[in-house]
Amino acid sequence: MNEYLSQEKSIYLQIAEMLENDILRDVLLEEERVPSTNELAKLYAINPATAAKGINLLVDTGVLYKKRGIGMFVASGAKEAIRMRRRNGFFDSYLSSVLEEARRLNISRSELISMIGDNYERGTKES
Amino acid sequence: MSTGKLICNDLVKKYGKKEILHGIDLELEPDRIYGLIGRNGAGKTTLLSTLTAQSPVTSGTVTYNGLPVWENQDALDHICFSRELNPLIGWGANSLKVKDYLKAASIFFPHWDKQLAERLVQDFELETKKKICKLSKGMMSMVTIIIALASKADMTFLDEPVAGLDVIARDAFYRELLSEYTETGRTFLISTHIIEEAEDLFEETIFLNDGRILLKESTQALLERAIHISGKAEDVDAATTGLAVYHPEKLGRSKAVTVLLQEGQCIADGYDLSSQPVNLQNLMVALCGPDSQHSVPDSQQNTPDVKTGGRKGR
Repeated sequence: MNEYLSQEKSIYLQIAEMLENDILRDVLLEEERVPSTNELAKLYAINPATAAKGINLLVDTGVLYKKRGIGMFVASGAKEAIRMRRRNGFFDSYLSSVLEEARRLNISRSELISMIGDNYERGTKES
Repeated sequence: MSTGKLICNDLVKKYGKKEILHGIDLELEPDRIYGLIGRNGAGKTTLLSTLTAQSPVTSGTVTYNGLPVWENQDALDHICFSRELNPLIGWGANSLKVKDYLKAASIFFPHWDKQLAERLVQDFELETKKKICKLSKGMMSMVTIIIALASKADMTFLDEPVAGLDVIARDAFYRELLSEYTETGRTFLISTHIIEEAEDLFEETIFLNDGRILLKESTQALLERAIHISGKAEDVDAATTGLAVYHPEKLGRSKAVTVLLQEGQCIADGYDLSSQPVNLQNLMVALCGPDSQHSVPDSQQNTPDVKTGGRKGR
């Protein structure tokens, strides 16, 4: 939580993504209550309907579940499920734009692969 | 929470011979935050004052929960239009001290929340012994905000509530508004020119342009179908053929347009184009700006995506 919202993406997607990030980095633990729609709305100064849309997205994907009268909770196994889903989406979310730019710059397949190989072990990516 | 809707049909407003509102149809639901957006002179304040019976309609009807609002206390008890205070006028409301103005409001609004008003006065650090006309623009806005929130009216209208407020006070207002909204489900309709920071508050946005409702739509849905496309001019044209295109900008071989997609439409694949999301402010410039001339394809001429309001022409 507490990241800034950007203009680049729908707010509700960002809310869902931030909750997921917090689950991945153990800010929110499995079987723990997540902030309510109204709490999120006030924190980000957004319409509660938008916050609810983000939360519902995570309910649909099984990351959160509702305890009647209490609130939304992180499902057990959510962390691993998020990681798996993001792995599956890794190409579309990240690599496809890398490839697009590489082709625009006429970077060959082998150049690109060696660039990745050389840098994979170094934590930071310098050119 | 009330279940009453505020509805206006074919609302026309003239000042003398000049027609300001050209046949507005509008339906405001309970439990919503609406944004009202439009240029200076579009008719926003006139619309708000006719919807709330502070100014008579020339023709058309305005009802709340089925009751006409004009001179009808049963309807007006549920409606608050907290007007912008004008620093240039030295008489009327402006000659009152802040505390007397709030006192008058507490008598006028049957559901007035005195504690809330007092807390907001403290939070905003308003000097209640000052006369309204001696306040700064930002402090006047605080007074109108306090009246709107403390009125507890089911349909509350705010005209430029954040004008002149510093960024911290604006932020405080947005949070107060949300907390009041989440607790009560009152409907708020807010006109603002500071679109960028308020757009996330609005469940629905109403664009008023030249006395007509251009659009009334879920903010989320509207922004999802608006895209800014740029690239080589002929590629942009080819990829957007048949789509509703606004606000073309050209520079050399490059061109940018704002596209409003209809359901099922998409930008054609296979071109090297940049496509970016559009925020409400960009969209307002694209739809209402001076270069907003748009091309809607022939196939859509009969079902334009943009409503032109009830009546066309004068």
